[in-house]
Amino acid sequence: MKDVSLFIPCIVDLLLPEVGEATVAVLRKLGQNPIYHPDQTCCGEPAINSGYQHHAIQAAKHFIEIFENDEAIVCPAGSCVNTVKNHYPELLAGDDDWVKRAESVGSRVYELSQFIVDVMGLDAVDATYQGKVAFHRSCQQLRGLGVSEQPERLIRAVKGVEAIPLIGADVCCGFGGLFSVDYASISEAIVKNKTDNFINSEADILVTCDPGCLTNINGYLSRNHPGKKAVHIANLLAGI
Amino acid sequence: MDIKTEQFVQVAEEELKNERTRLFLSLLPPAVSQRRQAAMSTFSDPKAAMSYCASVRGAAVDNLPDLLEEFEKNATANGAKVIWARDAAEANEFVVQKAREKGVSYVTKGKSMVTEELGLNPVLEQNGIEAFETDLGEYIAQQLKRPPFHIVGPAINVPPEEIRDLFMDIGILEKATADPVELGLAARIYLRDKFHHLKMGITGINMAIADTGSIINVENEGNIRFTKAAPQTQISIMSIEKVIPSIKDAMFQVRLLCRSCTGQKISSYVTIDNGPKKNDEIDGPEELYIVIVDNGRSAKYHDLLAREALRCFRCGACLNICPVYTTVGGYPYGWAYSGPMGQVLNPMLLGQERTQDLYRASTLCGACKEVCPTGVNHPKIFRYYRSKDVDGDTEFGGKPRPLMESIIYKFWLQGVTNSWSWKLGARLARPLLNNAIKNGWLRKKIKPLDNWLQARDLPLFPKKTFRDRWKDLRDRS
Ligand code: SF4
Repeated sequence: MKDVSLFIPCIVDLLLPEVGEATVAVLRKLGQNPIYHPDQTCCGEPAINSGYQHHAIQAAKHFIEIFENDEAIVCPAGSCVNTVKNHYPELLAGDDDWVKRAESVGSRVYELSQFIVDVMGLDAVDATYQGKVAFHRSCQQLRGLGVSEQPERLIRAVKGVEAIPLIGADVCCGFGGLFSVDYASISEAIVKNKTDNFINSEADILVTCDPGCLTNINGYLSRNHPGKKAVHIANLLAGI
Repeated sequence: MDIKTEQFVQVAEEELKNERTRLFLSLLPPAVSQRRQAAMSTFSDPKAAMSYCASVRGAAVDNLPDLLEEFEKNATANGAKVIWARDAAEANEFVVQKAREKGVSYVTKGKSMVTEELGLNPVLEQNGIEAFETDLGEYIAQQLKRPPFHIVGPAINVPPEEIRDLFMDIGILEKATADPVELGLAARIYLRDKFHHLKMGITGINMAIADTGSIINVENEGNIRFTKAAPQTQISIMSIEKVIPSIKDAMFQVRLLCRSCTGQKISSYVTIDNGPKKNDEIDGPEELYIVIVDNGRSAKYHDLLAREALRCFRCGACLNICPVYTTVGGYPYGWAYSGPMGQVLNPMLLGQERTQDLYRASTLCGACKEVCPTGVNHPKIFRYYRSKDVDGDTEFGGKPRPLMESIIYKFWLQGVTNSWSWKLGARLARPLLNNAIKNGWLRKKIKPLDNWLQARDLPLFPKKTFRDRWKDLRDRS
């Protein structure tokens, strides 16, 4: 069994621990041995996006120190992986040593579905879900990491799944971190669009790889379409 | 043009309730985006075409000082007169003075973003010179006294019935009709007359060619062509970043501009002027003035990231794809440039203090960057402007953040580098937040949470975090 280091984003740690548990379950199912560094906190994405670069630098260095000896680091959130891979080197620019360390860690961080398909070379995870499934392409995962085919392939391979095309699948869900509370009315209108497309698609569930989008979409669904749900890909693949 | 960038939130709230805006936004931007995509796919390698265009724009922006001098030299040799304007006041002053000198009572205008930026029309009016916008959409927007809703279709959100009433009011429509063709014809007949005996025409410039001194306009209605061909005096105005090295670059740029803008391979008219009428020529303007406007650009030119905004050639592709623009439309941005294009340009030109909402009201989804044929990295520039607020930057006029936010980030920093305080913080915050989620009175005290809960739910924070659960999880393996 190979050790795989878990990078559990703060939102999963604090609000959605079941997504973390599902990630552990999926990795174990695939014969990996997930390990967890309890000193990890937050990757710093909220600070970067709000303009608190100096704060974010501290977060980045903390992250690098914790993870830099791991061979493979797996995270159930595309946007956090994007932060480590693409924003850390930018953030630390000017300090060559730290940039090197950032790039080195960055080359070993993977979003969950990316790890399964690209690193493990698998097309499927043994899982079952009876129903119609639509997929939301999270922005940072799609445009930052260029990952979209991998999760979609895994979803289609789940037994019993009927994959349903979603109109505007690659349009932002309106979360944007603090954007969602600083410009709440605009954010609501955007997420309404997303959930309308989901409802109209007649899919049973909407799968995403990002806990931010998940919280946003489910927040709106729960209020306006109780019974309809977005599901994290880890939970779909773990069957929990 | 009045600058209303500070009213972003207020106007956005109004527009969110405007049925007409919502309907329009649900139809047109996606349709134009699709056309753009179809047109781009006529390139054998669309990605390569985009990155080539981006590199042409990038190199031109990096060489602006030299290119501008070369352009001035060659345009002057062609017989044009080049005028440098440091700011809007200087540019407007020049136009007014020329109009006075020539005894002009009215001018025709070709649609131009830069004259919106300069606020030229009101200045002309104050000086007793009537300005006729001759682009149909721009004419309607002007008559309604509204800012452009969309860069390509300034009045595209105005229903035909409203245009009918407007045209009846100003007396250019004989029989009341809301037929768009009839409305277009009425405006055409009325405006066509203005080109006869025209003394002065004013246009913008899409591209200025350094090595030939020529200027290029790209349009679909032909009114710019008239405005350049009919008058005795032609004044064409450009901001400094419109200059590019050669006609070859220009012709390539046109391919990307038209595809990104309207989904056309080329627009109906692309006109190239090499100076005013020559002695042996029978028509064309007798004088051509080319006004090159700085208006705050060169002051920020040394900033390599902000400078990227100068690559923009105003195709509008980023508007049509932006989740925020396609939700609130063009009015909230409050100035000549709207959508992601305006969100990168306006803070540079107006300072950050009154444009903070522009670069903050973005989800950073990156769709703008993805479609931009000139290589503007909007999200990166937004984050950069945001950091200037926090750092108290004085050059761009960064606007301080709310005290509460800075305090939260202080605590966040404490926790993020020390997992013990992180855990402690989580333990303390959980009951408070969970109570607030359930209790309306307490919730009102925590504004971000209250805003979220306006139309969305939030699950309660579970008692055991992932970290707490790990021990069990590990032992279960
Ligand atoms: S910033 Fe927007 S308008 Fe400007 S070139 Fe890029 S896509 Fe076009």
